[in-house]
Amino acid sequence: MQTRDELSDKVSPRFAGVTDSPKTYQATSPPFRIAAVVAAWLVPGGGHIVLGRYWRGLLFLVLISGSFFFGLSLHGRLYWPQTDKTAMFHVDLISVLWTFAQIGAGSCYWLAQALGLGLVPRPEAATYEYGNTFMFLAGLLNYLLIMDAYDIAAGRKR
Amino acid sequence: MHLLMMSMYASITAIVLAAIEQKPESTRERVIHGLKVFASFMVIGLLLSWLLYPIPW
Repeated sequence: MQTRDELSDKVSPRFAGVTDSPKTYQATSPPFRIAAVVAAWLVPGGGHIVLGRYWRGLLFLVLISGSFFFGLSLHGRLYWPQTDKTAMFHVDLISVLWTFAQIGAGSCYWLAQALGLGLVPRPEAATYEYGNTFMFLAGLLNYLLIMDAYDIAAGRKR
Repeated sequence: MHLLMMSMYASITAIVLAAIEQKPESTRERVIHGLKVFASFMVIGLLLSWLLYPIPW
């Protein structure tokens, strides 16, 4: 008759992938996690750079800021919530969503805002919608990267 | 033009998603995962465009 521990030793390697608890890695202190999240929002890939994932961070910086400015070069528009007296809460809700998507790109958004790029909508341009799509993509992907940076800082990921 | 933009969109998304995915243990697995994401975007995009093309509005 096998004891419970012997049986467990025999069976467990076969189910190691199924039964193992999630791997944990070295976690950083809460203030450092917040710093990583803020850096990740301000500079796409910045959170990963702060956490020592330099190449990954650089790759994200090139991809996210590249996507954002590529969108701008295609006559994409920089969104900001528009007032609409006829709408609920007197605000055009779709413009709030578009702003949320774009503002995720952090410094790219504020830099474009400061330089006055994309402030005048040009819907007549053939590439207007393409441009907007790439700018939304940049912001939304950066939200994913912010969460990824937090997970790394919290020791949940490599 | 549209296909080019779609490929660029799919490439950027696939690279980012493959880079942040936790499961792949090696670079090779990560690249394969990225290629799968890219292929999914392209195939689903083309399929949707083909299905929606006859709709007149």
